[in-house]
Amino acid sequence: MNIAFWIISAVAVLGAILAVSLRNLVHCVLALILFFIGIAAHYFLLHADFLGTVQILIYVGAVAILILFAIMLTHNVTGTDGPRELLGLKWWSGAAIAAMLAVLLTRAIQGDKLAATLPAGDRAQSSVAEIGKALVGGWVVPLEAIAILLTAALIGAVVIALEEIRKSR
Amino acid sequence: METLYQLLHATFANLPDWAVRVAAFLIPIGFIFAVYPAIFALTTLVERKALGRIQNRLGPNRVGIFGILQPLADGLKILLKEDIVPRVADKFTHFLAPVLIVVPGLLVYLVVPIAPGLVAVDLKVGVLFALAVGTMSVIALFMAGWASRNKFSLLGAVRAVAQVVSYEVPTVMAGVAVIMAAGSLSTLTIVERQSGGVLNISNWYVFRPWGLVGFVLFVIGGLAESARCPFDLPEAESELIGGYHTEYSGFKFALFQMGEYLAGMAMAGVTVTLFLGGYLGPGSGTGLVGRLIAMLWFFSKLAGMIALNIWIRGTWPRLRVDQLMGFAWKILLPLALVNIVAIGFWHFLTPRPVAWVVTTIWLAIWVVVLTKCNASAHLEKREYRYV
Repeated sequence: MNIAFWIISAVAVLGAILAVSLRNLVHCVLALILFFIGIAAHYFLLHADFLGTVQILIYVGAVAILILFAIMLTHNVTGTDGPRELLGLKWWSGAAIAAMLAVLLTRAIQGDKLAATLPAGDRAQSSVAEIGKALVGGWVVPLEAIAILLTAALIGAVVIALEEIRKSR
Repeated sequence: METLYQLLHATFANLPDWAVRVAAFLIPIGFIFAVYPAIFALTTLVERKALGRIQNRLGPNRVGIFGILQPLADGLKILLKEDIVPRVADKFTHFLAPVLIVVPGLLVYLVVPIAPGLVAVDLKVGVLFALAVGTMSVIALFMAGWASRNKFSLLGAVRAVAQVVSYEVPTVMAGVAVIMAAGSLSTLTIVERQSGGVLNISNWYVFRPWGLVGFVLFVIGGLAESARCPFDLPEAESELIGGYHTEYSGFKFALFQMGEYLAGMAMAGVTVTLFLGGYLGPGSGTGLVGRLIAMLWFFSKLAGMIALNIWIRGTWPRLRVDQLMGFAWKILLPLALVNIVAIGFWHFLTPRPVAWVVTTIWLAIWVVVLTKCNASAHLEKREYRYV
Protein backbone atom coordinates (compact mmCIF):
# COMPACT_ATOMS: atom_id res chain seq x y z
CA MET A 1 0.00 0.00 0.00
CA ASN A 2 1.84 3.05 -1.18
CA ILE A 3 1.31 6.06 -3.42
CA ALA A 4 2.16 4.14 -6.61
CA PHE A 5 -0.52 1.56 -5.78
CA TRP A 6 -3.21 4.23 -5.49
CA ILE A 7 -2.18 6.10 -8.64
CA ILE A 8 -2.07 2.91 -10.72
CA SER A 9 -5.35 1.73 -9.23
CA ALA A 10 -7.02 5.04 -10.04
CA VAL A 11 -5.83 4.84 -13.66
CA ALA A 12 -6.91 1.20 -14.00
CA VAL A 13 -10.35 1.83 -12.49
CA LEU A 14 -10.79 4.90 -14.70
CA GLY A 15 -9.92 2.76 -17.74
CA ALA A 16 -12.37 0.06 -16.69
CA ILE A 17 -15.21 2.53 -16.08
CA LEU A 18 -14.57 4.27 -19.41
CA ALA A 19 -14.44 0.92 -21.21
CA VAL A 20 -18.02 0.10 -20.19
CA SER A 21 -19.49 3.61 -20.29
CA LEU A 22 -18.14 5.22 -23.47
CA ARG A 23 -20.50 5.15 -26.45
CA ASN A 24 -17.95 4.70 -29.22
CA LEU A 25 -16.72 1.12 -29.61
CA VAL A 26 -13.16 2.10 -30.55
CA HIS A 27 -12.93 4.47 -27.59
CA CYS A 28 -14.04 1.57 -25.39
CA VAL A 29 -11.22 -0.63 -26.69
CA LEU A 30 -8.68 2.15 -26.14
CA ALA A 31 -9.95 2.55 -22.56
CA LEU A 32 -9.69 -1.23 -22.16
CA ILE A 33 -6.03 -0.99 -23.23
CA LEU A 34 -5.50 1.63 -20.51
CA PHE A 35 -7.00 -0.82 -18.02
CA PHE A 36 -4.76 -3.66 -19.24
CA ILE A 37 -1.69 -1.48 -18.85
CA GLY A 38 -2.82 -0.52 -15.35
CA ILE A 39 -3.09 -4.21 -14.43
CA ALA A 40 0.36 -4.84 -15.92
CA ALA A 41 1.74 -1.98 -13.80
CA HIS A 42 0.18 -3.63 -10.73
CA TYR A 43 2.00 -6.87 -11.53
CA PHE A 44 5.27 -4.96 -11.86
CA LEU A 45 4.56 -3.29 -8.52
CA LEU A 46 4.14 -6.74 -6.97
CA HIS A 47 7.53 -7.81 -8.45
CA ALA A 48 5.76 -10.23 -10.78
CA ASP A 49 7.84 -9.03 -13.75
CA PHE A 50 7.02 -12.02 -15.91
CA LEU A 51 3.27 -11.76 -15.39
CA GLY A 52 3.34 -8.01 -16.08
CA THR A 53 5.31 -8.43 -19.29
CA VAL A 54 3.08 -11.24 -20.49
CA GLN A 55 0.05 -9.10 -19.67
CA ILE A 56 1.41 -6.43 -22.04
CA LEU A 57 2.51 -8.93 -24.69
CA ILE A 58 -0.74 -10.92 -24.77
CA TYR A 59 -3.50 -8.51 -23.75
CA VAL A 60 -2.20 -5.20 -25.12
CA GLY A 61 -0.09 -6.59 -27.96
CA ALA A 62 -2.44 -9.29 -29.19
CA VAL A 63 -5.98 -9.29 -27.74
CA ALA A 64 -6.66 -5.55 -27.92
CA ILE A 65 -4.98 -5.27 -31.32
CA LEU A 66 -7.12 -8.12 -32.67
CA ILE A 67 -10.30 -6.45 -31.35
CA LEU A 68 -9.27 -3.22 -33.10
CA PHE A 69 -8.47 -5.15 -36.25
CA ALA A 70 -11.84 -6.88 -36.17
CA ILE A 71 -13.61 -3.51 -35.78
CA MET A 72 -11.65 -2.14 -38.73
CA LEU A 73 -12.83 -4.99 -40.94
CA THR A 74 -16.50 -4.38 -40.12
CA HIS A 75 -18.83 -2.00 -41.90
CA ASN A 76 -19.23 0.37 -38.95
CA VAL A 77 -15.57 1.34 -38.80
CA THR A 78 -16.03 4.70 -37.09
CA GLY A 79 -17.49 2.78 -34.15
CA THR A 80 -20.47 5.12 -33.66
CA ASP A 81 -23.29 3.40 -31.84
CA GLY A 82 -27.08 3.38 -32.06
CA PRO A 83 -29.42 4.91 -29.46
CA ARG A 84 -28.58 4.39 -25.81
CA GLU A 85 -30.39 1.53 -24.14
CA LEU A 86 -30.83 2.15 -20.41
CA LEU A 87 -31.70 -0.50 -17.84
CA GLY A 88 -32.72 -3.06 -20.44
CA LEU A 89 -32.40 -6.83 -20.20
CA LYS A 90 -28.74 -6.71 -21.24
CA TRP A 91 -27.95 -4.23 -18.47
CA TRP A 92 -29.59 -6.35 -15.76
CA SER A 93 -27.98 -9.61 -16.91
CA GLY A 94 -24.59 -7.90 -17.07
CA ALA A 95 -25.07 -6.48 -13.59
CA ALA A 96 -26.06 -9.90 -12.25
CA ILE A 97 -22.94 -11.54 -13.71
CA ALA A 98 -20.74 -8.74 -12.34
CA ALA A 99 -22.28 -9.11 -8.87
CA MET A 100 -21.76 -12.88 -8.88
CA LEU A 101 -18.12 -12.43 -9.97
CA ALA A 102 -17.57 -9.82 -7.25
CA VAL A 103 -18.93 -12.17 -4.56
CA LEU A 104 -16.83 -15.05 -5.88
CA LEU A 105 -13.62 -13.01 -5.98
CA THR A 106 -14.21 -11.50 -2.55
CA ARG A 107 -14.72 -14.95 -1.04
CA ALA A 108 -11.62 -16.28 -2.81
CA ILE A 109 -9.43 -13.43 -1.59
CA GLN A 110 -10.81 -13.58 1.96
CA GLY A 111 -10.11 -17.29 2.24
CA ASP A 112 -6.48 -18.01 3.12
CA LYS A 113 -6.04 -20.66 0.41
CA LEU A 114 -4.58 -18.18 -2.09
CA ALA A 115 -1.90 -16.98 0.29
CA ALA A 116 -0.92 -20.56 1.13
CA THR A 117 -0.16 -21.41 -2.52
CA LEU A 118 2.44 -18.66 -2.88
CA PRO A 119 5.97 -20.10 -2.92
CA ALA A 120 8.24 -19.17 -0.06
CA GLY A 121 11.56 -17.38 -0.42
CA ASP A 122 12.61 -14.66 -2.81
CA ARG A 123 9.69 -14.70 -5.21
CA ALA A 124 10.92 -11.83 -7.37
CA GLN A 125 14.09 -13.72 -8.24
CA SER A 126 12.61 -17.01 -9.31
CA SER A 127 9.12 -16.44 -10.70
CA VAL A 128 10.03 -17.19 -14.35
CA ALA A 129 11.97 -20.34 -13.53
CA GLU A 130 9.22 -21.52 -11.15
CA ILE A 131 6.51 -20.99 -13.77
CA GLY A 132 8.60 -22.76 -16.41
CA LYS A 133 9.30 -25.76 -14.18
CA ALA A 134 5.64 -26.01 -13.17
CA LEU A 135 4.52 -25.91 -16.80
CA VAL A 136 6.76 -28.78 -17.94
CA GLY A 137 6.40 -30.61 -14.62
CA GLY A 138 3.09 -31.06 -12.88
CA TRP A 139 1.04 -29.09 -15.38
CA VAL A 140 2.40 -30.69 -18.53
CA VAL A 141 -0.84 -32.55 -19.36
CA PRO A 142 -3.11 -29.46 -19.19
CA LEU A 143 -0.48 -27.55 -21.19
CA GLU A 144 -0.48 -30.18 -23.94
CA ALA A 145 -4.28 -30.27 -23.90
CA ILE A 146 -4.35 -26.49 -24.46
CA ALA A 147 -1.80 -26.92 -27.26
CA ILE A 148 -4.06 -29.47 -29.00
CA LEU A 149 -7.09 -27.22 -28.51
CA LEU A 150 -5.26 -24.24 -30.04
CA THR A 151 -4.02 -26.31 -32.97
CA ALA A 152 -7.57 -27.51 -33.61
CA ALA A 153 -8.83 -23.92 -33.47
CA LEU A 154 -6.12 -22.84 -35.90
CA ILE A 155 -6.94 -25.60 -38.39
CA GLY A 156 -10.64 -24.80 -37.98
CA ALA A 157 -10.01 -21.15 -38.82
CA VAL A 158 -8.07 -22.13 -41.95
CA VAL A 159 -10.84 -24.53 -43.02
CA ILE A 160 -13.51 -21.83 -42.58
CA ALA A 161 -11.41 -19.35 -44.56
CA LEU A 162 -10.85 -21.89 -47.35
CA GLU A 163 -14.60 -22.61 -47.50
CA GLU A 164 -15.32 -18.93 -48.14
CA ILE A 165 -12.71 -18.75 -50.88
CA ARG A 166 -14.26 -21.82 -52.56
CA LYS A 167 -17.75 -20.30 -52.38
CA SER A 168 -16.63 -17.02 -53.89
CA ARG A 169 -15.18 -18.77 -56.94
CA MET B 1 20.64 1.06 -11.43
CA GLU B 2 22.17 -0.85 -8.51
CA THR B 3 25.61 -0.75 -10.09
CA LEU B 4 25.28 2.97 -10.74
CA TYR B 5 24.26 3.45 -7.12
CA GLN B 6 27.34 1.62 -5.89
CA LEU B 7 29.56 3.52 -8.33
CA LEU B 8 28.23 6.88 -7.21
CA HIS B 9 28.50 5.83 -3.58
CA ALA B 10 32.14 4.92 -4.04
CA THR B 11 33.00 8.08 -5.99
CA PHE B 12 31.13 10.65 -3.89
CA ALA B 13 31.50 9.14 -0.44
CA ASN B 14 30.66 12.39 1.38
CA LEU B 15 27.18 12.76 -0.16
CA PRO B 16 24.16 11.64 1.89
CA ASP B 17 22.64 8.30 0.98
CA TRP B 18 19.29 9.67 -0.23
CA ALA B 19 21.03 12.07 -2.66
CA VAL B 20 22.97 9.18 -4.18
CA ARG B 21 19.78 7.11 -4.47
CA VAL B 22 17.89 9.92 -6.20
CA ALA B 23 20.83 10.53 -8.53
CA ALA B 24 21.09 6.83 -9.41
CA PHE B 25 17.38 6.92 -10.19
CA LEU B 26 17.39 10.13 -12.25
CA ILE B 27 20.63 9.75 -14.21
CA PRO B 28 19.51 6.78 -16.37
CA ILE B 29 16.18 8.49 -17.12
CA GLY B 30 17.91 11.74 -18.04
CA PHE B 31 20.40 9.79 -20.12
CA ILE B 32 17.65 8.03 -22.09
CA PHE B 33 15.74 11.27 -22.62
CA ALA B 34 18.84 13.18 -23.74
CA VAL B 35 21.04 10.76 -25.63
CA TYR B 36 18.64 8.75 -27.79
CA PRO B 37 16.66 11.73 -29.16
CA ALA B 38 20.03 13.37 -29.88
CA ILE B 39 21.07 10.25 -31.81
CA PHE B 40 17.70 10.48 -33.60
CA ALA B 41 18.42 14.07 -34.67
CA LEU B 42 21.86 13.09 -35.94
CA THR B 43 20.43 10.01 -37.66
CA THR B 44 18.01 12.10 -39.73
CA LEU B 45 20.95 14.09 -41.07
CA VAL B 46 23.16 11.04 -41.66
CA GLU B 47 20.26 9.25 -43.35
CA ARG B 48 19.58 12.14 -45.71
CA LYS B 49 23.26 12.44 -46.54
CA ALA B 50 23.66 8.69 -47.10
CA LEU B 51 20.49 8.43 -49.20
CA GLY B 52 21.75 11.38 -51.23
CA ARG B 53 25.03 9.57 -51.78
CA ILE B 54 23.21 6.37 -52.84
CA GLN B 55 21.01 8.37 -55.22
CA ASN B 56 23.98 10.27 -56.62
CA ARG B 57 23.16 13.69 -55.19
CA LEU B 58 24.59 15.83 -52.41
CA GLY B 59 21.94 15.82 -49.69
CA PRO B 60 21.56 18.73 -47.24
CA ASN B 61 24.71 20.89 -47.23
CA ARG B 62 23.52 24.47 -46.70
CA VAL B 63 23.07 24.85 -42.94
CA GLY B 64 26.39 24.80 -41.15
CA ILE B 65 29.44 22.93 -42.35
CA PHE B 66 28.41 19.68 -44.16
CA GLY B 67 24.83 20.57 -43.24
CA ILE B 68 25.49 19.65 -39.61
CA LEU B 69 22.90 22.12 -38.28
CA GLN B 70 20.18 20.75 -40.55
CA PRO B 71 18.30 18.86 -37.75
CA LEU B 72 18.17 22.10 -35.74
CA ALA B 73 16.82 24.02 -38.72
CA ASP B 74 14.28 21.28 -39.40
CA GLY B 75 13.10 21.34 -35.79
CA LEU B 76 12.75 25.12 -35.81
CA LYS B 77 10.87 25.10 -39.10
CA ILE B 78 8.49 22.40 -38.00
CA LEU B 79 7.74 24.20 -34.72
CA LEU B 80 6.61 27.26 -36.67
CA LYS B 81 4.27 25.30 -38.94
CA GLU B 82 0.53 25.51 -38.53
CA ASP B 83 -1.13 22.63 -36.73
CA ILE B 84 -4.12 21.53 -38.79
CA VAL B 85 -6.78 19.19 -37.39
CA PRO B 86 -9.50 17.93 -39.76
CA ARG B 87 -12.99 19.15 -38.86
CA VAL B 88 -14.49 15.65 -38.70
CA ALA B 89 -11.54 14.13 -36.87
CA ASP B 90 -11.96 12.48 -33.51
CA LYS B 91 -10.22 15.36 -31.74
CA PHE B 92 -9.02 13.70 -28.53
CA THR B 93 -7.68 10.52 -30.16
CA HIS B 94 -6.18 12.58 -32.97
CA PHE B 95 -4.29 14.64 -30.40
CA LEU B 96 -3.24 11.69 -28.24
CA ALA B 97 -1.75 9.50 -31.00
CA PRO B 98 1.44 11.51 -31.72
CA VAL B 99 2.04 11.90 -27.99
CA LEU B 100 1.82 8.15 -27.37
CA ILE B 101 3.89 7.12 -30.37
CA VAL B 102 7.16 8.22 -28.74
CA VAL B 103 6.58 6.30 -25.48
CA PRO B 104 7.15 2.64 -26.50
CA GLY B 105 10.44 3.43 -28.25
CA LEU B 106 11.77 5.16 -25.14
CA LEU B 107 10.56 2.37 -22.82
CA VAL B 108 12.60 -0.24 -24.69
CA TYR B 109 15.85 1.60 -23.87
CA LEU B 110 15.16 0.94 -20.16
CA VAL B 111 16.35 -2.66 -20.55
CA VAL B 112 19.16 -2.17 -23.10
CA PRO B 113 22.49 -2.34 -21.25
CA ILE B 114 25.17 0.10 -22.42
CA ALA B 115 28.07 -1.05 -20.21
CA PRO B 116 28.69 -3.81 -17.61
CA GLY B 117 25.98 -3.36 -14.98
CA LEU B 118 24.79 -0.10 -16.50
CA VAL B 119 21.17 -0.62 -17.48
CA ALA B 120 18.31 1.61 -16.36
CA VAL B 121 16.24 -1.29 -14.99
CA ASP B 122 17.71 -4.78 -14.69
CA LEU B 123 14.43 -6.59 -15.22
CA LYS B 124 14.48 -10.37 -14.77
CA VAL B 125 12.46 -10.57 -18.01
CA GLY B 126 14.22 -7.79 -19.91
CA VAL B 127 14.12 -9.36 -23.38
CA LEU B 128 10.43 -10.16 -23.13
CA PHE B 129 9.75 -6.64 -21.88
CA ALA B 130 11.57 -5.10 -24.84
CA LEU B 131 9.67 -7.28 -27.31
CA ALA B 132 6.30 -6.66 -25.63
CA VAL B 133 6.65 -2.90 -25.28
CA GLY B 134 8.16 -2.47 -28.73
CA THR B 135 4.93 -3.54 -30.41
CA MET B 136 2.77 -1.14 -28.41
CA SER B 137 3.50 1.67 -30.86
CA VAL B 138 1.02 0.06 -33.25
CA ILE B 139 -1.81 1.22 -30.98
CA ALA B 140 -0.72 4.82 -31.50
CA LEU B 141 -0.51 4.20 -35.25
CA PHE B 142 -4.03 2.80 -35.22
CA MET B 143 -5.31 5.78 -33.20
CA ALA B 144 -3.74 8.18 -35.69
CA GLY B 145 -5.15 6.45 -38.75
CA TRP B 146 -8.58 5.86 -37.25
CA ALA B 147 -9.07 9.32 -35.72
CA SER B 148 -8.18 11.12 -38.94
CA ARG B 149 -11.46 9.99 -40.59
CA ASN B 150 -9.67 9.64 -43.88
CA LYS B 151 -9.70 6.57 -46.11
CA PHE B 152 -5.98 6.69 -46.81
CA SER B 153 -5.19 7.09 -43.12
CA LEU B 154 -7.46 4.19 -42.20
CA LEU B 155 -5.88 1.96 -44.86
CA GLY B 156 -2.48 2.86 -43.45
CA ALA B 157 -3.67 1.94 -39.97
CA VAL B 158 -5.09 -1.40 -41.18
CA ARG B 159 -1.78 -2.19 -42.86
CA ALA B 160 0.22 -1.17 -39.79
CA VAL B 161 -1.79 -3.40 -37.47
CA ALA B 162 -1.72 -6.41 -39.80
CA GLN B 163 1.99 -6.01 -40.40
CA VAL B 164 3.02 -5.64 -36.78
CA VAL B 165 0.83 -8.55 -35.62
CA SER B 166 2.35 -10.78 -38.32
CA TYR B 167 5.98 -9.86 -37.82
CA GLU B 168 5.80 -9.91 -34.04
CA VAL B 169 5.55 -13.73 -34.11
CA PRO B 170 8.81 -14.57 -35.96
CA THR B 171 10.68 -11.82 -34.11
CA VAL B 172 9.72 -13.19 -30.71
CA MET B 173 10.52 -16.73 -31.89
CA ALA B 174 13.96 -15.59 -33.06
CA GLY B 175 14.47 -14.09 -29.61
CA VAL B 176 13.44 -17.39 -28.00
CA ALA B 177 16.51 -19.12 -29.51
CA VAL B 178 18.80 -16.61 -27.78
CA ILE B 179 16.88 -16.93 -24.51
CA MET B 180 17.29 -20.72 -24.66
CA ALA B 181 21.01 -20.44 -25.41
CA ALA B 182 21.67 -17.98 -22.60
CA GLY B 183 19.26 -19.65 -20.18
CA SER B 184 18.07 -16.26 -19.00
CA LEU B 185 15.61 -13.52 -19.87
CA SER B 186 17.75 -10.75 -18.40
CA THR B 187 19.51 -8.59 -20.99
CA LEU B 188 22.58 -8.18 -18.77
CA THR B 189 22.97 -11.94 -18.34
CA ILE B 190 22.52 -12.55 -22.06
CA VAL B 191 25.31 -10.10 -22.86
CA GLU B 192 27.57 -11.62 -20.20
CA ARG B 193 27.03 -15.11 -21.68
CA GLN B 194 28.55 -13.83 -24.94
CA SER B 195 31.79 -12.71 -23.30
CA GLY B 196 35.13 -14.46 -23.62
CA GLY B 197 36.56 -16.12 -26.71
CA VAL B 198 38.96 -14.44 -29.11
CA LEU B 199 39.15 -10.70 -28.37
CA ASN B 200 35.78 -10.87 -26.59
CA ILE B 201 34.25 -11.15 -30.08
CA SER B 202 34.15 -14.80 -31.16
CA ASN B 203 31.49 -15.75 -28.58
CA TRP B 204 28.86 -13.33 -29.89
CA TYR B 205 25.74 -15.24 -30.78
CA VAL B 206 25.82 -13.96 -34.34
CA PHE B 207 28.87 -16.19 -34.92
CA ARG B 208 26.82 -19.36 -34.36
CA PRO B 209 24.77 -21.06 -37.09
CA TRP B 210 21.49 -20.55 -35.22
CA GLY B 211 22.62 -17.08 -34.14
CA LEU B 212 23.21 -15.95 -37.70
CA VAL B 213 19.76 -17.15 -38.75
CA GLY B 214 18.23 -15.54 -35.67
CA PHE B 215 20.09 -12.30 -36.35
CA VAL B 216 18.76 -12.10 -39.91
CA LEU B 217 15.22 -12.91 -38.72
CA PHE B 218 15.47 -10.33 -35.96
CA VAL B 219 16.78 -7.56 -38.21
CA ILE B 220 14.00 -8.20 -40.74
CA GLY B 221 11.39 -8.37 -37.99
CA GLY B 222 12.73 -5.19 -36.41
CA LEU B 223 12.52 -3.33 -39.72
CA ALA B 224 8.96 -4.53 -40.22
CA GLU B 225 7.81 -3.73 -36.69
CA SER B 226 9.13 -0.20 -36.83
CA ALA B 227 7.64 0.13 -40.36
CA ARG B 228 10.97 1.02 -41.90
CA CYS B 229 11.78 0.58 -45.56
CA PRO B 230 11.35 -1.92 -47.29
CA PHE B 231 8.39 -2.59 -44.98
CA ASP B 232 7.00 0.96 -44.90
CA LEU B 233 3.66 -0.03 -46.41
CA PRO B 234 1.61 1.73 -43.68
CA GLU B 235 2.90 5.06 -45.01
CA ALA B 236 3.52 4.10 -48.62
CA GLU B 237 3.50 7.53 -50.22
CA SER B 238 2.96 6.21 -53.74
CA GLU B 239 -0.31 4.49 -52.75
CA LEU B 240 -1.59 6.03 -49.52
CA ILE B 241 -0.27 9.64 -49.68
CA GLY B 242 1.20 9.43 -46.17
CA GLY B 243 -0.73 6.57 -44.63
CA TYR B 244 -1.65 7.07 -40.99
CA HIS B 245 0.06 10.47 -40.73
CA THR B 246 -1.62 12.00 -43.78
CA GLU B 247 -3.70 14.34 -41.61
CA TYR B 248 -0.89 15.47 -39.34
CA SER B 249 1.14 18.63 -39.74
CA GLY B 250 3.63 20.65 -37.80
CA PHE B 251 5.23 19.20 -34.72
CA LYS B 252 2.78 16.30 -34.52
CA PHE B 253 4.20 15.05 -37.82
CA ALA B 254 7.70 15.44 -36.39
CA LEU B 255 6.65 13.33 -33.40
CA PHE B 256 5.58 10.55 -35.78
CA GLN B 257 9.00 10.66 -37.43
CA MET B 258 10.65 10.65 -34.01
CA GLY B 259 8.57 7.71 -32.83
CA GLU B 260 9.42 5.71 -35.93
CA TYR B 261 13.15 6.39 -35.61
CA LEU B 262 13.21 5.77 -31.85
CA ALA B 263 11.43 2.44 -32.34
CA GLY B 264 13.83 1.47 -35.13
CA MET B 265 16.84 2.41 -33.01
CA ALA B 266 15.36 0.52 -30.05
CA MET B 267 15.04 -2.62 -32.15
CA ALA B 268 18.63 -2.06 -33.33
CA GLY B 269 19.69 -1.79 -29.68
CA VAL B 270 17.90 -5.03 -28.78
CA THR B 271 19.49 -6.74 -31.80
CA VAL B 272 22.93 -5.58 -30.65
CA THR B 273 22.20 -6.88 -27.15
CA LEU B 274 20.91 -10.26 -28.25
CA PHE B 275 23.21 -11.12 -31.13
CA LEU B 276 26.16 -8.72 -31.38
CA GLY B 277 27.39 -9.06 -27.82
CA GLY B 278 25.95 -5.75 -26.55
CA TYR B 279 28.73 -3.72 -24.99
CA LEU B 280 31.35 -6.48 -25.32
CA GLY B 281 34.47 -6.01 -27.37
CA PRO B 282 38.26 -5.82 -27.01
CA GLY B 283 39.02 -3.73 -23.92
CA SER B 284 35.57 -3.70 -22.36
CA GLY B 285 35.56 -4.41 -18.64
CA THR B 286 34.20 -3.38 -15.27
CA GLY B 287 36.72 -0.66 -14.38
CA LEU B 288 36.07 3.00 -15.24
CA VAL B 289 38.14 2.82 -18.43
CA GLY B 290 36.70 -0.59 -19.27
CA ARG B 291 33.15 0.73 -18.86
CA LEU B 292 33.88 3.73 -21.09
CA ILE B 293 35.32 1.44 -23.77
CA ALA B 294 32.26 -0.82 -23.38
CA MET B 295 29.96 2.20 -23.94
CA LEU B 296 31.99 3.10 -27.00
CA TRP B 297 31.54 -0.45 -28.30
CA PHE B 298 27.80 -0.42 -27.69
CA PHE B 299 27.21 2.88 -29.43
CA SER B 300 29.53 1.91 -32.31
CA LYS B 301 27.48 -1.23 -32.85
CA LEU B 302 24.27 0.76 -32.59
CA ALA B 303 25.61 3.17 -35.21
CA GLY B 304 26.52 0.20 -37.37
CA MET B 305 22.99 -1.18 -37.15
CA ILE B 306 21.53 2.25 -37.98
CA ALA B 307 23.86 2.45 -40.97
CA LEU B 308 22.65 -0.99 -42.07
CA ASN B 309 19.05 0.24 -41.84
CA ILE B 310 19.84 3.30 -43.95
CA TRP B 311 21.68 1.16 -46.49
CA ILE B 312 18.70 -1.19 -46.77
CA ARG B 313 16.34 1.76 -47.15
CA GLY B 314 18.44 3.26 -49.91
CA THR B 315 18.77 0.10 -51.95
CA TRP B 316 15.62 -2.02 -51.65
CA PRO B 317 12.20 -1.38 -53.17
CA ARG B 318 9.06 -1.64 -51.06
CA LEU B 319 7.29 -5.01 -50.82
CA ARG B 320 3.75 -5.61 -52.06
CA VAL B 321 1.11 -6.38 -49.44
CA ASP B 322 0.76 -10.06 -50.45
CA GLN B 323 4.55 -10.44 -50.52
CA LEU B 324 4.75 -8.87 -47.08
CA MET B 325 2.27 -11.29 -45.51
CA GLY B 326 3.58 -14.35 -47.38
CA PHE B 327 7.13 -13.54 -46.32
CA ALA B 328 6.19 -13.38 -42.65
CA TRP B 329 4.04 -16.50 -42.46
CA LYS B 330 5.58 -18.78 -45.09
CA ILE B 331 9.29 -18.09 -44.68
CA LEU B 332 10.17 -16.24 -41.49
CA LEU B 333 7.89 -18.12 -39.07
CA PRO B 334 8.89 -21.66 -40.21
CA LEU B 335 12.54 -20.62 -40.18
CA ALA B 336 12.18 -19.26 -36.64
CA LEU B 337 10.59 -22.53 -35.48
CA VAL B 338 13.32 -24.58 -37.17
CA ASN B 339 15.87 -22.34 -35.49
CA ILE B 340 14.46 -23.29 -32.09
CA VAL B 341 15.06 -26.96 -32.95
CA ALA B 342 18.58 -26.03 -34.06
CA ILE B 343 19.35 -24.50 -30.67
CA GLY B 344 18.20 -27.81 -29.16
CA PHE B 345 20.74 -29.69 -31.28
CA TRP B 346 23.38 -27.13 -30.31
CA HIS B 347 22.69 -27.60 -26.62
CA PHE B 348 22.68 -31.39 -26.48
CA LEU B 349 25.23 -32.47 -29.10
CA THR B 350 28.83 -32.84 -27.95
CA PRO B 351 31.61 -32.21 -28.83
CA ARG B 352 31.25 -28.70 -30.22
CA PRO B 353 32.39 -29.42 -33.84
CA VAL B 354 29.63 -32.05 -34.18
CA ALA B 355 27.07 -29.49 -33.00
CA TRP B 356 28.45 -26.98 -35.50
CA VAL B 357 28.15 -29.40 -38.42
CA VAL B 358 24.70 -30.74 -37.49
CA THR B 359 23.08 -27.34 -36.83
CA THR B 360 24.60 -25.85 -39.99
CA ILE B 361 23.36 -28.71 -42.17
CA TRP B 362 19.91 -28.69 -40.48
CA LEU B 363 19.47 -24.95 -41.01
CA ALA B 364 20.90 -25.01 -44.54
CA ILE B 365 18.46 -27.75 -45.58
CA TRP B 366 15.51 -25.76 -44.28
CA VAL B 367 16.65 -22.49 -45.83
CA VAL B 368 16.89 -24.25 -49.21
CA VAL B 369 13.52 -26.03 -48.76
CA LEU B 370 11.71 -22.86 -47.72
CA THR B 371 13.15 -20.81 -50.56
CA LYS B 372 12.35 -23.51 -53.14
CA CYS B 373 8.79 -24.02 -51.86
CA ASN B 374 8.10 -20.29 -51.86
CA ALA B 375 9.73 -19.41 -55.15
CA SER B 376 7.27 -17.17 -56.94
CA ALA B 377 5.79 -18.43 -60.20
CA HIS B 378 7.53 -17.31 -63.33
CA LEU B 379 5.45 -14.45 -64.69
CA GLU B 380 4.66 -13.96 -68.34
CA LYS B 381 6.23 -10.97 -69.97
CA ARG B 382 3.73 -8.14 -69.70
CA GLU B 383 3.16 -5.53 -72.33
CA TYR B 384 1.81 -2.09 -71.63
CA ARG B 385 0.29 -0.09 -74.41
CA TYR B 386 -0.51 3.54 -74.12
CA VAL B 387 -3.00 4.76 -76.69
